[in-house]
Order: sequence, then structure tokens, then C-alpha cells
Amino acid sequence: MRIRRAFLVFRKDWREIRRNWQVILPIIIVPVALSVVFPSFIVLVPDGGESSEGTAALLGSLPSELRAELSGLPSRAVVIYIFLVYLLAPFFLIIPLLASTVIAADSFAGEKERRTIEALLAMPISDSELFLGKVLVSFVPSMIVTWSSFAIYTAITDVLSFSTFNGRLILPNLVWILFIFGLAPLVALSSIGLTVTISARVKGFREAQQISTILLVPILGLFFGQLSGAVFLGPVVIGLLAGGFALVAAIVFEIGVRLFRREEILARLA
Amino acid sequence: MGPTIDTENPMPTIETGGLTKRFGSFTAVDHVSFSVRDGEVFGLLGPNGAGKTTTIRMLACLLAPTEGTATVRGLNIGKDSLKVREMVGILTENPSLYERLTAHENMDFFAEAYGISDRTKRSHRVKELLEFFELWDRRDDRVAKFSKGMKQKLAIARAIVHNPPIVYLDEPTSGLDPESAKTIRDLIQGLSRQGNHSILLCTHRLEDAEKLCHRVMIINKGKSIVTGTIEELTTRVQTHPIVQVALAKLDQGIVDSVKESDSVREVAADTAQGTLTITVDDYESSTPTIVKRIVAADGRILSVNRVRPSLEEAYLKLVRGGPVEN
Repeated sequence: MRIRRAFLVFRKDWREIRRNWQVILPIIIVPVALSVVFPSFIVLVPDGGESSEGTAALLGSLPSELRAELSGLPSRAVVIYIFLVYLLAPFFLIIPLLASTVIAADSFAGEKERRTIEALLAMPISDSELFLGKVLVSFVPSMIVTWSSFAIYTAITDVLSFSTFNGRLILPNLVWILFIFGLAPLVALSSIGLTVTISARVKGFREAQQISTILLVPILGLFFGQLSGAVFLGPVVIGLLAGGFALVAAIVFEIGVRLFRREEILARLA
Repeated sequence: MGPTIDTENPMPTIETGGLTKRFGSFTAVDHVSFSVRDGEVFGLLGPNGAGKTTTIRMLACLLAPTEGTATVRGLNIGKDSLKVREMVGILTENPSLYERLTAHENMDFFAEAYGISDRTKRSHRVKELLEFFELWDRRDDRVAKFSKGMKQKLAIARAIVHNPPIVYLDEPTSGLDPESAKTIRDLIQGLSRQGNHSILLCTHRLEDAEKLCHRVMIINKGKSIVTGTIEELTTRVQTHPIVQVALAKLDQGIVDSVKESDSVREVAADTAQGTLTITVDDYESSTPTIVKRIVAADGRILSVNRVRPSLEEAYLKLVRGGPVEN
């Protein structure tokens, strides 16, 4: 495989994506909402005067490991910590998932829709080089957006909650670091592999995107599992999840490369 | 009549044997065999849905043949697809240009993809082509802003950016206004005259075939009907040769004298125009006899021409008539 050829496809696609608001807007809006609006709202909204009973009830539904970590903190700090450090973590998986899905859905399906695919497929570039180029153009921007959002989120959370926690910086912690730098790339790769494969086999961008939204289901499952106390996102669970997503990524890539056929793509031209 | 080429040249650039493509139960291309010689402009001529684009897609290694073989410069399209793609430039049915990129960005991308990795060489080649196609002044405009004719010119420039020995052009003038179509035809003629490109031209426009192709193959419903030069095709559909004689003055005596000749089958006289249209058995042997008879009848001949059917007549006759022995 000639990596240079894959990077060429990546550069071309990246240039196009930067000028495509249909792709850029959803990639920007969700990260801004998660990294700026959410922490600002939770920290800056005036204290609702949470009762110690209410806080105790909230804590009661959480795993014992977290309860121990929060013991002794005032009610306000507990609420901020639970939301910003514990509950919002799974939502950050939506950023790489959404960004990569939007770009990956556009990869082949968008080229078919815009009728540029034939010249691309006629180029002297192998199937795996083309596939890798399309994966790279989905992966690199989605990770840039994810990591940038995390940096902004951390900065805003720490600045706004600085006085509440008496000068203690609540982010980043080990769980978030594992989440953002370990789990998020694997989630992105799984979704990209699946979406590029789908994208090569459907007629249009929208169709590919709609099918790919199914990937949100496990992320939401993780959030509600955590909210109900059924799942505690500690290093062990994150490690297991990472292993699971790595396996999924390997399987979808294998399937994707096997199913990638120039003829199939052309046959599905709209 | 179309351009000519050394037909004795034995070196085929493209050679197909029984090339067939089926999509399920539908046969798009049915045992098509032809060869394109070095430097030749070879036309695939046929109505919409005849199988022309599928043939080009197989030769561009985009579709795998269901049956049959094809080689491009001796390379098998199935086994050596990457090498074949490297030596082929293709203008697809749609311009296939990235509309959010500028003309220069499009050209630069394809130049690098086709192996011009040196930035300076690439830049020089892109400039050369954009200037040749009169697009240099618009190089920094996004392709979305281009007219259809400009997009087509850019797509042809892209097809030859790596100076390929073989160029496939799929309906290059389709959907263009007459002026743009002429510009594109002139450009293809220019490419052909440079002599270093073998061009496989896919078209349903007879004018394109007539003006550009050394030889054509008429294809219909996936089957090859006939292959030859335009002259050969038009002659093939003519049952008997026709001679047209223009005279200074035409009278009944001349008409009667011509009719008496044994080799003359039919005579049509247009007294007002002063022309005789004569159907004969054999052009070479009959014409001198006819001329002698006219002169003997005191006719003053202005011109003698052999009349051939137009390509349009030949095409319609061949397409409606089914396969013809080559």
C-alpha cells in the first residue's frame, strides 16, 4: 500500500469538507454545546438550594466508588461534580461519533451524489489506499474536534468551578483521559469503518447518515446505564469498552475492505 | 469523410475479444471484439443504452467483464488493472469534477494521483493544460461557477494531465451547445494530431464520429454491428454505386443515351439543376462509358462525383438492420 496515495485522497477530501457547511455545521454545533454551553449552564445557573436529602437521593443511585469520592463535599459541589465529571463523560463519545459519521457518510455516498465517483475510481490507486484515505479524512478531523472540545470543556469547567472546589481542578482526571484518548479514537474508528462501508453501498449521503445513526444507541445505553447506577465508568470498565470497540473496529474494517468493490460502488450510482 | 490513418500498422493499443458484460439477466455488452491502433481515434457509435459506456468502463478497469478478454498495451485489464489505469486518461460520462475545489486544485489533485509527484513538474503541466484549454485566467475559481462547456474542457484537460498514451472520451460533446461542441471537437482533433494519443471515443453524435474518427464500430443493444472507416460503412449500406453528373445543359437526348448503357440500372434527371443521378453496377467500369455517352450526345460535363449515403443514412440502416459481416 502506498500511504502517500491515501494521504492524497485525505487532503483532497479535507479541502472539500472545509467548504461544505452541510458537513461542517453538525461537526461544530454539538461540540460547542457540550464543551461550552453545558458546563457554563450547570456551574453558572443560580443555586437552586439543593437540599441535603435531594443530594443524598442523587448520590444513592450512584456507585459506591463515586459516593466515597464525593463524601464531605457541599451539596452544590456534589451536583456540579456528578454532572460535569461523571454524567457528561459518555456524551463526549457523541462528538467523535457524530463528526466521523457525518464525514464518513459523505465519503463515498457524497461522491456518488455529486457524480465525482467515477473519475476517482478510475485513478491508479488501489482499493485499500482509497479506503484508507476515506477513513483518514473522517478520523483526523473528528479527533481534532474531540480533543479540542475536551480541552475547552476542561478549561471552562475548571475556571468556573475553581471557587466551588476551593482551588481544586476537577478535570482532567484519569477516567476522562482514558475516555478521550483511549476510548474515543476506537469509537470513532468503529463508526468510520461501519459508515464508510455503508456509504460505499448506498446511493446518497442522507441514506448513509441515517443508517449510521444506529451507532448512537450504545452510547445512549452507556449514559443511562451510568445514570441508573448499573454501570460505573472506571478504568476497568473503560478498558473493557476499549477492548470491545477495538474488536468492533477490526471486524468492520476487515468487512469494509472485503466488501469494497469498485464495481459495486458504480452499480449503485444514483 | 473522416480522418485517415495508416491502417497497415499492426500494433494494436487496445484489443478486445468477445468482451461481454451481464448485469443479472441483462446483457449490456455482448461478445464485442475490436482493436484500436496506435495513434488512432476509434469511435464507439451507437444509440443511448447501446453498451458504449459499459465497454469503456470495462476497459478502464472499473467493471470486470463477465466473459471475454481485453488488453491495453498488452496488459490484461483484469490482472494488471493498476498499470492499465496509469496509462489511461478518461473523460467520464459526467465531468466528475470536484465543484467545491478550484480548477487548479482539481488539476493538481489528479496530476498527483496519476503519478506526477514532483511539485514543479506538476505545476508546469497544470499551467500548460489550463492555458491550452483557455482556463488559466479562471484557475482560482471554483468549478461550481463554470459553464458546462468549461467543465467539459477542464474534464478533458484532467483526462490527459499525465500525458497518457490512451484516452477514453465518453460522450465529450453531449449536452453542449453547437459552439461549445465545436470547440471540444477542435480540441480532440488537436490532441489527435499531436499523434501520441490513441483515443477511444464513445458517442451517439454522428457529426463527432464523422469529423474525429479514423474508424468506428457501430454498437447496438450490446452487440457489435459493423466496424470500419466512415467510407467503408457508407459504402457497405449502398446496394449499388451512384454516380452524379453535373452538366451545363441537360436534354432528353443525353438522358436516353445514358439509359442505353448496359451497366446503368437507373437514371434520375433533374433538368432544372442540370444533374443526372445514375445508379450503376460498378463505379469504376461504368463511369468512363457514361462520360463517353454524354460527350457523344453533345453534353458539356461540369463535374462527375460518386454519391455515397451520409453517415446518418448508413448508421440508421445499420442500426435497424442488425449485425453485418465484417
